[in-house]
Amino acid sequence: MALMKKKNRPSGEIPTSSMADIAFLLLVFFLVTTVFDEQRGLRMVLPEADSEVEVSQRNVLHILIQPNGVVHVRRGEAPAVQQTTPAAIGDIWRQEFANNENLIASVKTSPQAPYRYMVDVLDQLQAARAERIALGILEE
Amino acid sequence: MVGKGGLTRKSKAASEIPSSSLADMAFLLLIFFMVTTVFRQEADRDVVFPDAEATQRLEEPRKDILNVYMERDGGIFINDRMTAPDQVSSVIGPISADVRGLVVMLRSDRDVPYYLVDQVLKELQAAGAYRVAFYTNLEQRMLRERR
Repeated sequence: MALMKKKNRPSGEIPTSSMADIAFLLLVFFLVTTVFDEQRGLRMVLPEADSEVEVSQRNVLHILIQPNGVVHVRRGEAPAVQQTTPAAIGDIWRQEFANNENLIASVKTSPQAPYRYMVDVLDQLQAARAERIALGILEE
Repeated sequence: MVGKGGLTRKSKAASEIPSSSLADMAFLLLIFFMVTTVFRQEADRDVVFPDAEATQRLEEPRKDILNVYMERDGGIFINDRMTAPDQVSSVIGPISADVRGLVVMLRSDRDVPYYLVDQVLKELQAAGAYRVAFYTNLEQRMLRERR
């Protein structure tokens, strides 16, 4: 009888054997639910305010973005306008840059054009390693 | 002496991995991650970002990056506060003077009309914040060609 009584006595300690499981479970839960906020995008350095630089028209590639996403490309003073899409800008830049190393891309976007068309063009220029890019607004 | 395997049992080294400190280690890891986690200060905005192939990661430390959100209807949010387009330079001016190497991250919706973006860029120039980045999602070339 005395032996039976001893068996029923509850343990005086908190069971610690499952503590590790609980802690790891919490750890895994937080690892899985964490969302990292990556900082990424297209870099640009803006010119200083009121710093106008005289540039020869020969060195300018005009890229004019219309509200419907059509891009008009004009080379310097030449009146000829080439209609194209944002996706074709990269190849045009590579071609023109091969002829003229001082070329500047002047991207002008129509006020009503969605922002994404400008980003598409900027993306193409940056992917084509263009370094001299000017952003502006297209005046009607 | 020669009981049930009496001789072989003499080695006292435990054959099990000690698990009593496992909990401490796990909690230590947990606490380490909790302490090193930095929470985003700003609420999420309803903004759909444009895609770009040339998307790069910014290496600047997080504290040098200022997020400027632009929603589709033209609402501009800096540090969770709605800012009128002509007030942007007066908000960013002091920050730009304070933080060397500030990068303004323009998190603009893909359908925002461009004149608003242009306005903000001019304000940034006026505030002396010349280093900007346009937040984009990385676009895979394969996906692009399929479209």
